[in-house]
Amino acid sequence: MEPWIEPAIRLGFPLALLAVTYFIGSTVERRHQHNLRQRELRSRNLPALTFATPPADWRIEDSALVTGSVVISIDYFKRFLAGLRGLFGGRIASYESLLDRARREALLRLKESAFEGGYRAVVNVRLETSRLASSTRRGEGTSGVEVLAFGTALKLPRV
Amino acid sequence: MKFEPRLPRDDVNVSRTHPLRETAQLVAGVTLLTGAFVVAAFLAVELGVRFLPASWEQRIFSGWTEGLDEADARTEPVQDLVNRLAAHWPENPYDLRVVILEDETPNAFAAPGGSILVTSGLLDAAESENELAFVLSHEVGHFRGRDHLRALGRGLVLQVAVQTAIASSAANLPALITDLASRSFGREQEQSADAFGLGLVQAEYGHVSGAENFFERLPDARADFGDELGAWFATHPVTEGRIEELADLTRRNGWQDEAPLRPLHLSP
Repeated sequence: MEPWIEPAIRLGFPLALLAVTYFIGSTVERRHQHNLRQRELRSRNLPALTFATPPADWRIEDSALVTGSVVISIDYFKRFLAGLRGLFGGRIASYESLLDRARREALLRLKESAFEGGYRAVVNVRLETSRLASSTRRGEGTSGVEVLAFGTALKLPRV
Repeated sequence: MKFEPRLPRDDVNVSRTHPLRETAQLVAGVTLLTGAFVVAAFLAVELGVRFLPASWEQRIFSGWTEGLDEADARTEPVQDLVNRLAAHWPENPYDLRVVILEDETPNAFAAPGGSILVTSGLLDAAESENELAFVLSHEVGHFRGRDHLRALGRGLVLQVAVQTAIASSAANLPALITDLASRSFGREQEQSADAFGLGLVQAEYGHVSGAENFFERLPDARADFGDELGAWFATHPVTEGRIEELADLTRRNGWQDEAPLRPLHLSP
């Protein structure tokens, strides 16, 4: 075996993986953002608000707890980029877009679940994030993040 | 209260830097920082190599090879051979000590503190005293160039630098980069150690016949042992060029290279 083959494989494989995960990751991200925008347009008439109590003039017929949850994982490229960023500090832009998508997706699922139940509004909306520990490194790493949106869905009479 | 349906803004919580641009900036930054650190640290190593007296070195690294010694019966004859060869280097500040390692791979190292580590595989493979003498003289040459200290220092620097810089990335680059660097920076030092070693062999035997036999035989050995010999080739690249270099040196100095070889007697 030529002496350069082994280092070429050892260097080439991670680089190829970076390139592939970058292209897959960015395509998925672009599509998801487009999809989010469409669904946000469709669901914009159903208000999801942070009030703990609904306004006094709302005549509430029924209420229920609704949730929307999403579990996400970072890809190889984003992890690499975040690792580099960890040396200098600053905004981890590769995670920002990911978590932004997760929050919007969780809120949309909450709204969609409320809409399917025949509710017209959701109040007292809260967002929570929890880390899923990695099983491969004795719980030290992060294998994913869950974003959970929950709130009180209200049935209102048609106006 | 009035409710006006509005779209949520999707541009507040996300930085609009292109990921590839960010990667390029960060990689450039890491490379620059690491490069600057490595250059500075190599300079420091070079200073240490120049100005650290051999007696200090021996004190610092005494005990470095302790426990490695396998009490091989062949230690004494090899030590005798080293002493005879090193006698042709009058300025030798080292108290050279031979340590035989139980290892099938033919190899020899110059270790900090004046220890010459020789594997049992090398002794098994040696067919004449002359070729063993050249390998040992070559290692003595590393002591003259203080390559062992330089290698140790640079190895440490690279390991620290690369591990710090890329520890967080998922790719397994650290080992690879240190590996490549330690392979490449030895070449010039190897050549100079070769030349010095050949001089010692000439001084001892009056000819250099048989000195390069190891190099000539090793390519065949590689076919037999496969990767076993990988280590030796990594740090002591045997190239056509290297054997030619030796022949050239012999010609230029008018040294004799056709002479009967002395058989190797290592068993007590």
